[in-house]
Amino acid sequence: MKYIGALIIIFTATAIGRLLAMQFRERPRQLRQLKSALQSLETEITYGLSPIGQAAKRLSEQLPQPGKNLFSYFSAKLATGEMSLQDAWDETLDKIWPKTAMKKNEKEIMKQFGATLGLSDRENQQKQIRLALSHLEREEIEARAAQSQYEKMLKSLGFLAGLLIVILLF
Amino acid sequence: METIWRILPHDVQQAIDRLQREKLHNVEEIRLRVGQPVELVLEGKSLFLDKAPPFSIIGVRHVLDRLGEFSLYTLEEELKRGYVTIEGGHRVGLAGRVVTEKGHVKLIRDISSFNIRIARQKIGAAKGLVGWLIHYKRWLNTLIIGPPQTGKTTLLRDIARLASIGGDKLPAVKVGIVDERSEIAGCVKGVPQNDLGARVDVLDACPKAEGMMMMIRSMSPDLIVVDEIGRKEDTEALFEALNAGVSIVASAHGFGLEQLLQRPTVQPLIDQQLFDRYVIISRRKGPGHIEEILDKNGKRVRVLEKEWAT
Repeated sequence: MKYIGALIIIFTATAIGRLLAMQFRERPRQLRQLKSALQSLETEITYGLSPIGQAAKRLSEQLPQPGKNLFSYFSAKLATGEMSLQDAWDETLDKIWPKTAMKKNEKEIMKQFGATLGLSDRENQQKQIRLALSHLEREEIEARAAQSQYEKMLKSLGFLAGLLIVILLF
Repeated sequence: METIWRILPHDVQQAIDRLQREKLHNVEEIRLRVGQPVELVLEGKSLFLDKAPPFSIIGVRHVLDRLGEFSLYTLEEELKRGYVTIEGGHRVGLAGRVVTEKGHVKLIRDISSFNIRIARQKIGAAKGLVGWLIHYKRWLNTLIIGPPQTGKTTLLRDIARLASIGGDKLPAVKVGIVDERSEIAGCVKGVPQNDLGARVDVLDACPKAEGMMMMIRSMSPDLIVVDEIGRKEDTEALFEALNAGVSIVASAHGFGLEQLLQRPTVQPLIDQQLFDRYVIISRRKGPGHIEEILDKNGKRVRVLEKEWAT
């Protein structure tokens, strides 16, 4: 009986450790994805001249999660036609962000980007996208550094913490 | 009406909704100006909706958002030209502060006025007229002359439609429309919103002179329809087109042939008898009233009614 309990403790502690580590692994991946989404948006705007709603819809069809959710929710909000683009964008970010591994910094970047979306000519839109991209780039580098620092550590820390508890309890 | 409804702010919608239904059928224009009450133009008479609050800056944002589907960059060309054509062929004219670049209009910023011109295709408007414009199954070169708002474009549109669908006495021909102001065909994303029959090709938003040459080179039309000729290039292109053996139906601003003769750019066209028919229209008995039809020498044409009634 005792052994089973010990195993359960070690197992859960490891799982918690892995879960925390996953946050560190996912963040750079999602950031990279967000960047490529913005790049596609740039093409849609500068070459395709498609309206934001249409572009977002097309993006949601191409992207993996969570970018898919972000853009499909946004295009659905826009299609209702009841709110301004900026409101729809902010609401989408508030709704989607807790479900991602991304942090407040990126959200702030995206919020600022949304505030300029659709408000100027092509050239300016392109500038704004480039600006958001370079900000995201910085975040991604930072996220990668954090990943290499903490991911492995958290993984083993979970297991070791479980082991420690078991030893103390024995 | 549906597509117009969509772009209007809620308070304007409500204000218009309070009007009587019958009145709405006659609306020609809806004018929105910042700080002013909404104006409706009904059969040439204006009606201010002064019980409703005046149109606001927030309203401007709303209308612009709807016009460009929240994406101003899709309106770049339109903001330069000063109008947007929306689904259904309706036109929204814009005015405000103009930004120029190298002396040319770059765009209209800080938009303060909208003029929503409601397009109503009058199918059959030219039916009584076409008999005069055909000779041995060939379309005669025709110039429609009239002041603004007399229905020139409506006539042109219906002529294009009739020529493209054909009829008993009418040969069905390939029609090319050079639609510089997107008014004849009312294209949205290149697709005509008006019913024009199956044989119509449209060069939307294309400068007339260049467009006529493009049409002749690429689309081999039998009949070319253009709106509001008057510039020097237009005249040159018309000469060219006629040498290529294409029939032309065009319109021009003016009160009559004599007045048109005083315009140096148009005069050579008339002097050289380029047009076989001149149709003078006015608003005397409602829009599209045909005052007279003249032949190339400026003499009235008489045609027996039996010959063309179809």
